[in-house]
Amino acid sequence: MAISFEQIEQHLKTEALKLLESGKVILVLAYGRGYDANHPMPYVAKHPSDVDNIVFNEYCTANLARYLTRYPRRTKIAIAVKAADSRAVVQLIQEDKVCREDLVVLGIPVYGMKNFKTGEVIDSKTTGGLYNPVLYDILLGEEVHGQPVSSPYDVLAAYEAMDKEERWAFWQRELGRCIRCYACRKACPMCYCDPCFIDQNKPKWGEKSPESPGNLMYHLTRFHHLAGRCIDCGECSRACPVDIPLYLFHKKVAKDCEEMFGQAAGMSIGDKPVLVNFRVDDSDKILE
Amino acid sequence: MLKKTTIDKLPELAACLMEKGTLVAPVKEAGGFNFRAITDAAQVDLIFHNTILSPKTVFFPQTEDFVRYSVYQPILEAKPVEPEIRPTFLFGVRPCDVKSFEIMDIHFTRTGVPDPYWRKRRDATIIFGFAFDTSEEADPAEFYHTLGIGAADPDGSDVFMLRRDDVLFLKAVSPRGENLLGGLAGLTDAAPDERKYFDDYIAQGHDYKTRYTCVDAEAIAKEFEAIFHNTDFWTKVSNACLSCGICTFVCPTCYCFDICDETQFGQGVRRRVWDACMFTDFTLEASGHNPRTQVYQRLRQKICHKYSFHIRKYGPISCVGCGRCTRYCPVNIDIFSIVEQAVQAKWYKRM
Repeated sequence: MAISFEQIEQHLKTEALKLLESGKVILVLAYGRGYDANHPMPYVAKHPSDVDNIVFNEYCTANLARYLTRYPRRTKIAIAVKAADSRAVVQLIQEDKVCREDLVVLGIPVYGMKNFKTGEVIDSKTTGGLYNPVLYDILLGEEVHGQPVSSPYDVLAAYEAMDKEERWAFWQRELGRCIRCYACRKACPMCYCDPCFIDQNKPKWGEKSPESPGNLMYHLTRFHHLAGRCIDCGECSRACPVDIPLYLFHKKVAKDCEEMFGQAAGMSIGDKPVLVNFRVDDSDKILE
Repeated sequence: MLKKTTIDKLPELAACLMEKGTLVAPVKEAGGFNFRAITDAAQVDLIFHNTILSPKTVFFPQTEDFVRYSVYQPILEAKPVEPEIRPTFLFGVRPCDVKSFEIMDIHFTRTGVPDPYWRKRRDATIIFGFAFDTSEEADPAEFYHTLGIGAADPDGSDVFMLRRDDVLFLKAVSPRGENLLGGLAGLTDAAPDERKYFDDYIAQGHDYKTRYTCVDAEAIAKEFEAIFHNTDFWTKVSNACLSCGICTFVCPTCYCFDICDETQFGQGVRRRVWDACMFTDFTLEASGHNPRTQVYQRLRQKICHKYSFHIRKYGPISCVGCGRCTRYCPVNIDIFSIVEQAVQAKWYKRM
């Protein structure tokens, strides 16, 4: 079964129109036309007349959950989510950053999404191995079944083959290229701290200049702040203007976390965030 | 004087320039091309569209050390850092980026306190402009045509280059360029028909269409002044903005910086580091007050600075249409579309 992007777009428009006209939500987080068809952008529809501007195609990779924390509580929001994005919504609910009651989740079952900068299909890389949203109120289309399912951790093979020294050298080299534009944290739905630790002056946690010590401080801390929280949408890596493969580290931590605690981030709103939840039988592997 | 060489002899030309000074040219890296000091003549690669970071990095590096000091010692221990300036050849700069140097000169050397770092580097550098390939389709993000810049404008370059299949033509534009080209071994004179090809190509550079909208500096400045307080407009165009620093960091005409004191193990350095008006703490005052807490306020500042305040204060529009901000924006915010909407703001105001 091939995905019909036009059909999803049509469903999205219909549902958005219904929700806005009935006053159930005051805004719909969706995708709109960018400067050309291959470059759509996140779009906020506030009036029924805005609905015409909504689009959906294979380049609508942005994770709209990133914008949820921008609106005050009790703002009724409808949000369009793909599989990984829905996990971000779940994780934000778990962390009590957004209320389930405030949201109407429009789930998009989809595969074959493409990075608009490179045209590369992102399925095997950063969708968490899922094609169907884990949480939705309205599903825009039919659930995807029968697509080859790859483990989200398959892409780690080459990385895991490296030993400790090689990994250290790898990250020093990759993070050394960082220009500190902070697009990774700004694109990340789980990076909502205000202020971010790296922007603090008292105490000062890391240097501002784009050199190795400060870069390592920023990225390694961010990686660990996202331990057990990263939902593998890949937005950080796609946002990076110099193509640093940040997703490798996030995936590795997610894999360790899943192996140790038996829970992946943002899979069910009944879960507690894995590093918040203490259980007597928790793995002690991290101390070994 | 039109000279030529072939693409396969590029390493020889590079080696020749490296003998005379530092050669800075586009180098292919993991995420795309960037201007780097060349260490191996074979690195120079002219098969590129444009670089990720603009060539402003050569005159205005992201980090520039001013003073080195030791703590726990009298302040007199502080020593200024003398920038190491060598004759530099900046190779393969696209015409729109060459134009950006002229705009940046206003801020670094022509108004206020002249910046010695920028000026010394600028004086020591010979610029090799490089025409866009007009047989290729324009990048969808670019719009230098709107700013009146052609795909093959030699103005501002010392030497202007043009590629035709396997041949690279080089023409001296300034007296410095003339001096240099005259002394470069390995270049041959171009034939008369090649000279005609070169001249025609440059003349036709303006026929090469990137995105275009009619922008008059004075009129656009007025439009943006008129819609400055139109919060609806600015919220609408900034809804998607993540407020990261990509657009300002890749921009050839953004020049804001922060002065940081960075001390480690008793040794410190006072340096300037690029800053971005898109960052929340850019306008954070010591009192704790922040005049621009909202994303729309910051995006409005960036666009109005380029298309309104800059015109009022210095004359030209502070944008060259290279399209980098649009191309690298993670959510595809497009400054051209925003300007276009502002040009049409008259219908917007009637709504």
